[in-house]
Amino acid sequence: MRRLPVYLLLDCSGSMFGEPIEAVKNGVQVLVSTLRQDPYALETAYLSIITFDSSAQQLTPLTELSAFQQPNIQASGCTALGEALSLLAAKADSEVTKTTPDQKGDWKPLVFIMTDGEPTDDLNKGLADFKKGKWGMVVACAAGAGANTDTLKKITECVVSLDTADSATIKAFFKWVSASVSSGSMKVEETGVEAATLSELPPPPPEVNIVL
Amino acid sequence: MANTIKLTASDGTPVEFVDEVIGSGAMKDVYFSPDKSYVVGFFREKQDANAKDRLQNIVGKYREKIFNQVGGEYWDNLFCWPTKLVEWNGRLGIVCPAYQQQFFFKDGMFKGQEKQGKWFASAKLRNKFLTPAQKGTWLSHVHLCLQIARAVRRLHAAGLAHSDLSYKNVLVDPETGRAAIIDCDGLVVPGKYPPDVVGTPDFIAPEVLQTRSLKIGDPAKKLPSIQTDRHALAVLIYMYLLNRHPLRGGKVNDLDAAKDEELSMGEKALFVEHPKDKSNRPKIKNMAPSELPQGDVDKLPYTLCGPYLRELFDRAFIDGLHNPALRPTADEWETALVKTTDLIQPCRNPDCEAHWFVFDNSTKPRCPFCGSVYTGQLPILNLYYSPAKGKFLPENYRLMVYDKQTLYMWHVNRFVTPNERTRDEDKKPVGDFHFHNGKWILINRRLPDMWEISDSGKRQIKVGEFVELTDGRKILLSGEDGGRLIVVQLVNN
Repeated sequence: MRRLPVYLLLDCSGSMFGEPIEAVKNGVQVLVSTLRQDPYALETAYLSIITFDSSAQQLTPLTELSAFQQPNIQASGCTALGEALSLLAAKADSEVTKTTPDQKGDWKPLVFIMTDGEPTDDLNKGLADFKKGKWGMVVACAAGAGANTDTLKKITECVVSLDTADSATIKAFFKWVSASVSSGSMKVEETGVEAATLSELPPPPPEVNIVL
Repeated sequence: MANTIKLTASDGTPVEFVDEVIGSGAMKDVYFSPDKSYVVGFFREKQDANAKDRLQNIVGKYREKIFNQVGGEYWDNLFCWPTKLVEWNGRLGIVCPAYQQQFFFKDGMFKGQEKQGKWFASAKLRNKFLTPAQKGTWLSHVHLCLQIARAVRRLHAAGLAHSDLSYKNVLVDPETGRAAIIDCDGLVVPGKYPPDVVGTPDFIAPEVLQTRSLKIGDPAKKLPSIQTDRHALAVLIYMYLLNRHPLRGGKVNDLDAAKDEELSMGEKALFVEHPKDKSNRPKIKNMAPSELPQGDVDKLPYTLCGPYLRELFDRAFIDGLHNPALRPTADEWETALVKTTDLIQPCRNPDCEAHWFVFDNSTKPRCPFCGSVYTGQLPILNLYYSPAKGKFLPENYRLMVYDKQTLYMWHVNRFVTPNERTRDEDKKPVGDFHFHNGKWILINRRLPDMWEISDSGKRQIKVGEFVELTDGRKILLSGEDGGRLIVVQLVNN
C-alpha cells in the first residue's frame, strides 16, 4: 500500500523561545493525536519532523503514526531554513519509496513549513535542492509579523500567515494541517488526484490567512 | 462556552445550534444542537437557486416519498436524512438527525469516534487497532452489506442517486451488523440536479475518473449517477467482506503516483482477481505484514463469498467495470446477500476470527479464514418452486443447515422476501433445525401444510412434530401458491 509521507519543517530559532515553541510542541502533539483518530491517516500517513535553528536536523525520521513519539523540541540560535530544505530533500530521497515498473511507491510527500523569521543562511542552495524533489502539497506558514511571506513564496505557491504566534493561533494551524492530511470527497471541477493547491484543502481557520 | 444560535427553519419550526464547528467536510461546516439530537450543516459556498431547490426537495418531496409511506419508519435506521432547511448569515444549511449510538466507538483507542466504514474495510486497521468485539463476525458484515444494498436499492427505486457512496458516508457497526447511509444532501436526480462532487477516491467509477478533466457541460464528461452508485456499492461490499480494494493491485500504470492512481482507478482499471488477465494481482512481497492475510488473493480469493456474490463481483468488476450498463443493481446485491446468508455455516474453531463462512459446495467443507475442516454430517436443502401444480423446478437456491438454525417464511414461500415490506407475521420463525441424538431434524413450529413426500405417498408433519433430514428426502413446506419443496442432500465426511 502506498504510504503518505508528511514532513514538518519547524523553525526552532531563538525568536521562537517561550510561548511560540511551546505552542509548536503542543501543536505537534495535537496533530499526531488527531491523525491517530482518523482511519485514513492511520492507515497511510507517516510523519517526520525536521527542525532548524543555527543548523537543521531531522528529529524524527519518517515514522508510522502509531509508532510516532514526540521529539524534544527546543528553541535557540538562528534560522537555517536553506539548510532545512536541503536536508528535507535528502531525507525524502532516501525515505520515500519510489515507484518502479515493478512496485508501486509512496505518494508524493506533503510538506508543512513553519517559520517566524527571515532565513539567516543561503536560501538559494536549499531551494535548488528542494526544487529537484517531487512533492505533493507544500504549505509554508509565516507565523507572526517577523516572517517574510515573499521569501516563502519562493518555496511554494501555498503560503499562509498567522497574525500572531500565540498558542491558540498555532493550535488552529496544526488542526488545519491535520484536516489537510485526511482525505474527503472530491468536488466535480477539481483536476488531478493529489491535492496540489490551496483550493483543494479544507478551508483554513480564521486565524490563518492565505497569502495571495 | 460558545453561543447558542436560534433560527427558524423553512418549515417554520425552531432550530438551535451551538456556534462551534464540530467538523468540516468538502462542502459544509457542521454544528451540534444543544441537546446533540441533531446537527446543522452550513454550506460554505453560496448555493444557487437550483441547489436550493434540490435541497428543498431532499428535505421535502423526496424524503416524504421514502419515509412517509407504510413501513417508512424502517428507513429511519438505514439513512441519516436531512429533515429541514435553514439560513444563517446568508449561508444555507440543513438539519440532520444525529447518528445513532451504535455508530460511535464506545471504548478502546477510538472511543467517541464515528464508526466510519474505513475502520472495518482496511486490513491494516482491523489487524492492528480494533478489538475482536469491535470487528464483529463475517456474518455481521454480510448483514451490514445487506442493509447498505437495501438502502441504495430504495434510493434508486425513487429515481435518486447518492453520488458519493464511500466508507466515509456509510456508517457501519459490525457488532450489531447495522449500517446507515449519511450525507444524503448530495443526492443527484438524473436529468434534474447535477452532482457537486465526483465522489471519494476508491469509489469513483472508472468512467468518471477517466473523463474528469473534461469541462463541465461537455457531453462526454461522465458524472455520478445511479450507474456509478452501483460501482461504489460493489466496491463497498467487496471491501467489507474481503478487506482489500478490488482494483488496487500490483500493476504500475505510470511512474508518477498521482498519474498511476488516475489510470489504475480509471481508464486502465483492472480487477485484481481477474481470472484471465493476472497482471494486476497484488504482490505479497510489497505488502506490510499488517496487510495480511487479507491482501493475499490466493489465500482468500473472492470466491469464498459463495456463488451468488461471485457472479455479481464478476459482473461488477469484469463485465461492467468499463461498461456501466452491465453492473449489478442494488436489488440484485440485496437478493444475492440474502441468499448467501442461507449458505453460511458456523466455523467449528472457537478461535476463528470470522466465526462464519460460506459453504464451498465441496464434500470436505473448510473454513477459508482459519482453515478448519468441517467434520460430520452436513445437511443441505435444495429449494424447488412449483411453476404449475405437481411440477417442481430447481431454483438455484440452497439452505445450509446448522444446529439451532431457524426456518423462515421466505424459505417456505417464494413470494415472501425478507425486506422492509416483510409482515411482522412473516418475521417469526416457522421451524428450527437440530442435531439431536446423532440425527438432523427439522421441527415444524408454525406450518399448517407441511408434508413429507415419497414414492409411496405423502405424510403430513403437523405443527410440533419433526421430520428427520435424510439424504434424498423430499419435504413440501407449503401447498399454497409459491410454496416450496425441499430436497435434502447429506454431505458425509
